[in-house]
Amino acid sequence: MVQAPRKRVDLFPYLLLSPALLITILVIFYPIVRTFTYSFMQYILWKPTEIKFIGFDNYLKAFEDPVFWISFQNTLIWIGGVISLQLLLGFCTALLLNQNFFWRGIARTLVLIPWVTPSVITALMWRWMYDGNRGVINDLLVRVGILSSYFPWLANDTTALYAIILALMWQGFPFFAIMILAGLQAIPDTLYEAAEVDGASALQKFTRITLPMLVPVLFTSLMLRIIWVANSLDIIYIMTGGGPGYSTHTLPVYSYIRAYKGMDFGYASTIAVVLTLLVTLFVSIYVRKVLRMEDRGAV
Amino acid sequence: MKKWMIVLFMGLVLPGLIFSGGAKEQKAEVKTVRFWYHFDNPETSVKPLIEKFERENPGIKIQAEMVAWDAYFQKLMTSIAGGNPPDVSQIKLWWQPQLVEMKALAPLDDYIAKWPGRTDVYEKIWELTRHTDGKQYLMPLQMVILYLYYRADMLKELGLKVPTTREEFLDVAKKLTRDTNGDGQIDVYGFGIRGGRGGHDYWATFVLSSGAEIITKEGKSGLTTPEAIAANQWYIDLFRVHKVSPPTTPTDGFNEVIANMKSGKTAMTIHHLGSAKGLVEVLGDRISAAPVPRGTKGAWTSFGDEENGVLAASKVKDEAFKWCAFLATAENNALWQKSSGQISINKSNGQTKEAQENRFMKASVESTPFAGVLPAHPKVAEFVESVWPATMQRAFLGQITSEQMMKIFEEHFFGKK
Repeated sequence: MVQAPRKRVDLFPYLLLSPALLITILVIFYPIVRTFTYSFMQYILWKPTEIKFIGFDNYLKAFEDPVFWISFQNTLIWIGGVISLQLLLGFCTALLLNQNFFWRGIARTLVLIPWVTPSVITALMWRWMYDGNRGVINDLLVRVGILSSYFPWLANDTTALYAIILALMWQGFPFFAIMILAGLQAIPDTLYEAAEVDGASALQKFTRITLPMLVPVLFTSLMLRIIWVANSLDIIYIMTGGGPGYSTHTLPVYSYIRAYKGMDFGYASTIAVVLTLLVTLFVSIYVRKVLRMEDRGAV
Repeated sequence: MKKWMIVLFMGLVLPGLIFSGGAKEQKAEVKTVRFWYHFDNPETSVKPLIEKFERENPGIKIQAEMVAWDAYFQKLMTSIAGGNPPDVSQIKLWWQPQLVEMKALAPLDDYIAKWPGRTDVYEKIWELTRHTDGKQYLMPLQMVILYLYYRADMLKELGLKVPTTREEFLDVAKKLTRDTNGDGQIDVYGFGIRGGRGGHDYWATFVLSSGAEIITKEGKSGLTTPEAIAANQWYIDLFRVHKVSPPTTPTDGFNEVIANMKSGKTAMTIHHLGSAKGLVEVLGDRISAAPVPRGTKGAWTSFGDEENGVLAASKVKDEAFKWCAFLATAENNALWQKSSGQISINKSNGQTKEAQENRFMKASVESTPFAGVLPAHPKVAEFVESVWPATMQRAFLGQITSEQMMKIFEEHFFGKK
């Protein structure tokens, strides 16, 4: 009986991949594993002798912690508010930039300014614009008669979170605008010409051609933005530090405050794990829905 | 051939080995001290002092790193946990309990006992900085005592006297809060309150001087007595009832409070010498200073301190202490204060003509007898960093009562009853 020649495993490609794999393990997987481990531990930095495994105690603590639930609710408002406003503004901007006008090139470049501005600068700029004593927003609103006196946008618990949502909308809409613009330009003109011949109205062309053709672009950009926005910490922290009170506490902000102000890395990790699970759940539901749409041929 | 190789080895490699060994030996003589510090003004430099020290101590090199104040504590804590802290770090007194708990600081008693300059440092500073275990972990570096800044021109315009008691203060603050141009809007507020991080000093000035105590001498809570709750209510009312501070108060931080004073939006505030230069640049003689008003039980103001600590993990402790001692010596400390804008810890520097004539320095010195610090408790750091700001802001917004606020503080220090 002749044995089939053994298939030789070529290790060379794996060797080439190993540096990237090693870096990924070190930079991504290791911190993730450590965060999950810490979430089951009492880990207060200044109590090094009392670090111990405590099972699900941190999770139970989070369940009973009113600040955690305020942060959880604020996170949902934050994601929903920022994403919907960015998408809306980005879509409108993309439709405008897709038109023919003589300074279109400059407009496309200018629209990227908020996106390329570092978050710290954006946060500081908006903080002073919202300033309740000398901010330009208050000045404008008083001048046009909408307000009778300056309003402390960031020092008021009902407006602070929404004020930051608007600031992040400004920073993030160019991402949607550019992605959607790229999608719009990939739609062949012949489709619109055919629709025209068939007597389709502008609205019909938009709903039957433009929107369906944009779904793959929208899908990718929405997913990326949801993840980024859910994780965003810098802009909120610089603008309000999570205050006044807990009114701008989102899960990343609360986790940061527990870790670096309270030095409680165990509980902070628990909050981070919950956020990760929340985003994963969000994204997986979304991916499933889109895949189902694709199967049905809706896309 | 072999002979040729031996000759080459002897001729090229051996001298290299010998010289590199020599270089190593020479290098080992120079010891590097890693030093972390911060100045409120990032443009100031510690370089002249380092050059002077290195000239006087040829075997020691100072590797200084300016760390942003907002992230200083967290960076220090994580560097300790990560096993790579600096050799010397600037330290706030309220960090000490946690750092001692972590065994991160080296006791300096033996070094200080042998240091001739120790008698030129104010005794009160040694007293305040000594840890509760009786050991001295910190080398004094600078001090600030908080006092009241007021607009002398506005007080004069309204014929008001500088307030010395809580009641006088409220009265003056109310009178200073006014619509100056007749448009129906308040243009000047009597008192700029810092509701954001760092504002605990303002709160403590009025609340700890009127019957509240964070931890009593018996080690119990002094935060929820009727007197303490009333004192806290009085402070909340400054914003909520009397409206003597701007509507932005709950989130106003250092920058906003000082900007409001400079722009004339507020007429009084509390801070230390660190902001005197900037205020004088804008306001000149219109800005002046006095000790903070007394509460119902006497006066209390915050002793704002900064010390240097030698980290326990340091392998160059002797050299690290030399650097700390150098900075605490009168001549060098005076140079340091030129950059930091704060007060020297040396008795001999306090006797200079400049120190006695400066109105801000005078207010600081007059406040020394009643300057205090927050209790040496490991939970003070978190109280200052996050518990106080969030809770104070909620009280300012009317989300919680004075009693609820004080109960939150009590639970923070003593746990739930």
